[in-house]
Amino acid sequence: MIELRNITKTYRKNGNTEVKVLEGINLEIRKGEFVAIMAPSGMGKSTLMNIVGCLDRPTDGHYFLDGMEVDKMNDDELSRTRNKKIGFVFQSFNLLPKTTALENVQLPLIYSPEDVDIKARAKASLEAVGLGDRINHEPSELSGGQQQRVAIARALVNDPALILADEPTGNLDSVSSEEVMNIFSKLNRDGRTIVLVTHESDVAEKAGRIIRMKDGKIVSDERRAK
Amino acid sequence: MSLTKVLNISLKGLSKYKMRTFLMMLGIIIGIATLTVIVSMGKGAQKKVMKGMQSFGPNAVLISAGGGKMFGPPDEKVTTLTLEDSDAIRDSVGGIRHLAPFTVTLEQTIVYGNRNATSSVLGVTPEWADAWQWYAEKGDFIGDEDISSMSKNCLLGQTLVRELFGDQEPIGETIRINNTNFKVIGVLNLRGTSPMGMDMDRRVMVPLTTAMKRLYNITHVGMIRLYLDDPTKLDEVSKSVASLLRERHHITPPQEDDFRVTNTMSMAHMSKGVAKTMGTFLGLLSLISLGVGGIVIANIMFISVNERKMEIGLRRAFGARAKDIMNQFLCEAVIVTLAGGIVGTILGAGISEALAIIRKMPAVISWEPFALAIVFSSIVGIIAGLQPARRAATMDPVKAIKG
Ligand SMILES: Nc1ncnc2c1ncn2[C@@H]1O[C@H](COP(=O)(O)OP(=O)(O)OP(=O)(O)O)[C@@H](O)[C@H]1O
Ligand SMILES: [Mg+2]
Repeated sequence: MIELRNITKTYRKNGNTEVKVLEGINLEIRKGEFVAIMAPSGMGKSTLMNIVGCLDRPTDGHYFLDGMEVDKMNDDELSRTRNKKIGFVFQSFNLLPKTTALENVQLPLIYSPEDVDIKARAKASLEAVGLGDRINHEPSELSGGQQQRVAIARALVNDPALILADEPTGNLDSVSSEEVMNIFSKLNRDGRTIVLVTHESDVAEKAGRIIRMKDGKIVSDERRAK
Repeated sequence: MSLTKVLNISLKGLSKYKMRTFLMMLGIIIGIATLTVIVSMGKGAQKKVMKGMQSFGPNAVLISAGGGKMFGPPDEKVTTLTLEDSDAIRDSVGGIRHLAPFTVTLEQTIVYGNRNATSSVLGVTPEWADAWQWYAEKGDFIGDEDISSMSKNCLLGQTLVRELFGDQEPIGETIRINNTNFKVIGVLNLRGTSPMGMDMDRRVMVPLTTAMKRLYNITHVGMIRLYLDDPTKLDEVSKSVASLLRERHHITPPQEDDFRVTNTMSMAHMSKGVAKTMGTFLGLLSLISLGVGGIVIANIMFISVNERKMEIGLRRAFGARAKDIMNQFLCEAVIVTLAGGIVGTILGAGISEALAIIRKMPAVISWEPFALAIVFSSIVGIIAGLQPARRAATMDPVKAIKG
């Protein structure tokens, strides 16, 4: 499903100093995999996730998603691809303030070209993460764990094949982390591809494959039998 | 993306920042309200001029003592116009059907029993009625007999009748003007307000000879009214009268006239001039406030875009195209200005009505300000929203999402 070929990302600061964040990433992720990416802070995990999520472009290299070459797409095509195929979950939840859970979850559907019952879909998605009784709560009225579950419901609502989660448990206590990870495991069992960034090894344990990065390169790629 | 979807998103965005939305609207509300007042009052003024011209009479010429460009009755101390002038006009200017010299004395106290009222007193001839097309509704007008005998008979305007007599019958009663007793012989037709805003029904009419010799001891008249055979001759007659009077008064231009000749055309001309200056001034004012309103909106929009980076990045991450973001913010700006425009027209209409009541000026509420408001406020919204919306749309989603 995902194929990265020799992906590099270089930031140019003030025109002079170059910061090489990714230096030739080669990676293949098959449909239905649950992958954890681990690396020390500042090593380019988020940069890689943004490229995989079609939110950012690599400086060089090729990226194929479902056989389509992402680096050749224009901005509108990238938007469509994100809308249809990808669901993001962020460390800091990133829910819209003063907006109910239901409306937050509706967000991807608003930009979907398909004509669906937006409300019903959003409600079903919230029920799937166990928040059917919180649909009219605003983020400020929800616990951290609940907020992250709303964020997962939002990532799921458009039925994307790929879920990208950048440190989804980074701001959560152990009980909430457990809940959130159980949801990811279940989504994976249902056939969804999940790529997740984490610092915590017990979180990574849930994944079927752990990729470690250092200095812009993949240093280990470990598949674990279930 | 459909328009309803964009509208929906924009409306939700605006409703979350109510104070900000209101502040953005304020400039537009003020600008459009001013615009509405201008149009309504302008139309009101126009209507009033039309009415004024009707009450002045379409084929009438009015000669007043004293120079200058002002309308209205002359100062009583101006003695430049005489009965001899009036006779000369009758003898040598053609096209005149009726001619009526008359005196006007302002602010006289009229007493009836223990009541009194303030009114102007006019000394008139029988021909005055035809010259003004203004007759007695009840009783008799001043007759030739009244003139020759300097009788102490008078007619009253209806405002005075109401104030002095209430429901009582005035004819046959005696009133006092300047310590002289007058017998009321008639009541004038209702005439309404003059083009200058004066109540034309607050007046007492006495015989011209009585006014000049008995009441005020004067030898001059205040005004001469002409009624022409043919309204197309207005300017011609006015010019002949003016040159005749100049000759009689030994005035050679550039010396200033000691009289003025007015007709419907010159009145319409002057009111238009005044209306135009006022309109230009207020129009400029409303354009400036619309411009300032637009700048305020643009600035608040920039702040808003900056504060809502996370939202913008998030929308992009979940599939919003750059143009969807562009439309959202542009739409917010236009909604704000349109709503401001609508509120502004309503407010402006209210202010116009209130001004109309306070200043006793008619206001004409019409669809034009509404259409203007829609057009102007949309234009301001699009112009003001364009740059902020473009900034929002071209933001790097990765950076934006970090907030
Ligand atoms: N827009 C940018 N301009 C310049 N440098 C950047 C930019 N974005 C990221 N970087 C640099 O790229 C490097 C990798 O950043 P990235 O956010 O991918 O790290 P990370 O592995 O996700 O770290 P963390 O675990 O702290 O989230 C960092 O050194 C960062 O300073
Ligand atoms: Mg990171």
